Amino acid sequence: MIERADPSSARAGVTAGLPSSPGSRLVARARRGDIRPVAAWILMLALFFTYASLQPGVISNAQIGTLCSDTLPLVTLALGEGLVIITAGIDLSVGGVLSLGTAIAAIHFTNSSQTFSWSIVIILMGVTAGVINGALIGYLRLQPFIVTLATWSIFDGLALEVLPTQGGSVPTGFSNWIGASTAGIPNAVWAILVMAVLWLWFKQTRVARRIFALGSDREGARISGVHRPRTLVVTYAISGLCAAVAALFYAMLTASGDPTAGDGLILPAVAAVVIGGTSLFGGQGGFIGTIAGALTLTLLGDVIFVFNLPSYWTVFADGFLLVVAVLLGGSLRSLQLRWLRR
Amino acid sequence: MKSFTSRPVLERNRAIVLAYALVVVLAILGELVAGGFLSVSHIDQLLIEASFIAFVALGQSFVILSGGIDLSIPWVLNAAAVLLTIFANGSNGKTLWLFPLLLAGGAVVGLVNGLGVIFLRIPPIIMTLGMSSMVEGGLLLYTNGSSGNNAPTGVVYMATHRWGPVPVVAVVWLAVLVVATVVLSATPFGRRLYATGLNRRVAEFSGVNVRWVTVSVYVISGVAAALAGLVLSGYVGEAYLGMGDPYLFASVAAVAIGGASVLGGTGNYVGTTAGALVLALLAAILPILGFSQATLEIVYGLVILVAVSLSSLRVAANRSVD
Repeated sequence: MIERADPSSARAGVTAGLPSSPGSRLVARARRGDIRPVAAWILMLALFFTYASLQPGVISNAQIGTLCSDTLPLVTLALGEGLVIITAGIDLSVGGVLSLGTAIAAIHFTNSSQTFSWSIVIILMGVTAGVINGALIGYLRLQPFIVTLATWSIFDGLALEVLPTQGGSVPTGFSNWIGASTAGIPNAVWAILVMAVLWLWFKQTRVARRIFALGSDREGARISGVHRPRTLVVTYAISGLCAAVAALFYAMLTASGDPTAGDGLILPAVAAVVIGGTSLFGGQGGFIGTIAGALTLTLLGDVIFVFNLPSYWTVFADGFLLVVAVLLGGSLRSLQLRWLRR
Repeated sequence: MKSFTSRPVLERNRAIVLAYALVVVLAILGELVAGGFLSVSHIDQLLIEASFIAFVALGQSFVILSGGIDLSIPWVLNAAAVLLTIFANGSNGKTLWLFPLLLAGGAVVGLVNGLGVIFLRIPPIIMTLGMSSMVEGGLLLYTNGSSGNNAPTGVVYMATHRWGPVPVVAVVWLAVLVVATVVLSATPFGRRLYATGLNRRVAEFSGVNVRWVTVSVYVISGVAAALAGLVLSGYVGEAYLGMGDPYLFASVAAVAIGGASVLGGTGNYVGTTAGALVLALLAAILPILGFSQATLEIVYGLVILVAVSLSSLRVAANRSVD
């Protein structure tokens, strides 16, 4: 792919050669940055305002809260998936982890103290799943897709063992959180903001730099001392953690458990990451674009609903958008790079 | 330190020999835990159930040999089954022309997958995942979320009929096995496929039309998945949404047990056949031992992990020998 050849030296040249007045520094930053997340936000806002013009009352605190709470499980899942994709891997097992998480929640969340302790169990389960994935991929050098396909199957099976059919319930105190507000702002909006801040902090850390290095140039990363297996274990552990937290949000949203809930969320999670401008070939991308990608997918469902179309269109559209986003993302980036070189 | 060619056939195909040994062990285990497990009628049933896995795994084998993966198999299978029962609506006459038509439909889905992978350069996992969702969405839109009808009697007959003690489906499977093995081991296409899977760039430089090979494996996979769906609807007697779901894991597990490398370039359909038999035997034995259906999914996953770990260790060992 052309985008793989993204020359960091050329990028450095662009910044180094410019005078340092604040205005031109801003221009330099803008030129250096990736255009794809910006495109994702423009797409999302365009869709949002289309939706708002079709459906009165969308631009309100409550409606935006609903939009964000509908998106919350997906965006949380996509946070971890995005990190894995930055290492040029893929995590299919997040679907199984999410299913198992909601199944455990529906069975064991009987009162508030149980809810607390079993939430910790779910989170530990997610982290363990990720550590297993990362260890198999890192230390045994197996392919990410085959390892996570296998663990997806295992966790799907475990979910069905815990909760054979859709059902169960969670305490209302727990499920109400996602629809409530704190300081006048919906909790779901807070949750996304907190994840965004966490991401901006994490991006600066040494671990994150190793993850990006691994994804953009495996050999170069090795030479500069990145321990590949250990970095992969951390990456997949974070993905498992995110899937477990997404399971908690999903259980809040549906107030019950579903042992197959995750299967339908794997593709949207990957799609949210790709629409958000993260490259499938590793090394480039981030969560800020992913937020727009996830919101886009939720809004798409809303718009389909407003047009009175069958909801099955969303299943088709998710798959179609994923493929189109991969295509457009690649060409957008190479167009931008061509423009930079001029 | 022996050279590759001088190693005896059995040693070169150790994974496949192991897989067949596993078939024998599981069959004996089955007979031990449940008398009559190895009766003719039960063996027939096992063969028929294994054949569905073998059909979907046929396509998955070719795709994995080329270095790709096909995640769209479950919904192609499901769409073929549901559309057959809806269009035929019980009529055997209509089934006659629906069969080739739906197989062609599977080919078209595979063609789009292959074109996306090779010309649009979309990674196989993403292309086929997206395609799976599009086929699923398309099917749900067409059926409005309801299941299919009962299968036409002709299809039921074909899926369950026996010639003497031998199920018709098993004969079809044997024919598929022979054809696939000849194609893989004795035709230019087979050699080009292995070359493509081993090293795409090198294959290209040595004059292999990698594009044509890649597109054809996805077409084969689409047709194979559709075939599995048609026969499965006859065996079950009806078609319903979600009937394809177990076949993604099963197809990959069968290929992995058969000793193929998920990186492409090594493996063959004789191994995959053993893989399908192992999975069908496990599916029959686990309930007898008191395990639920869900356990089967866990076993599929574990089997894939063990098989790919072993094959990766084997590759590492071969490398150190050479």
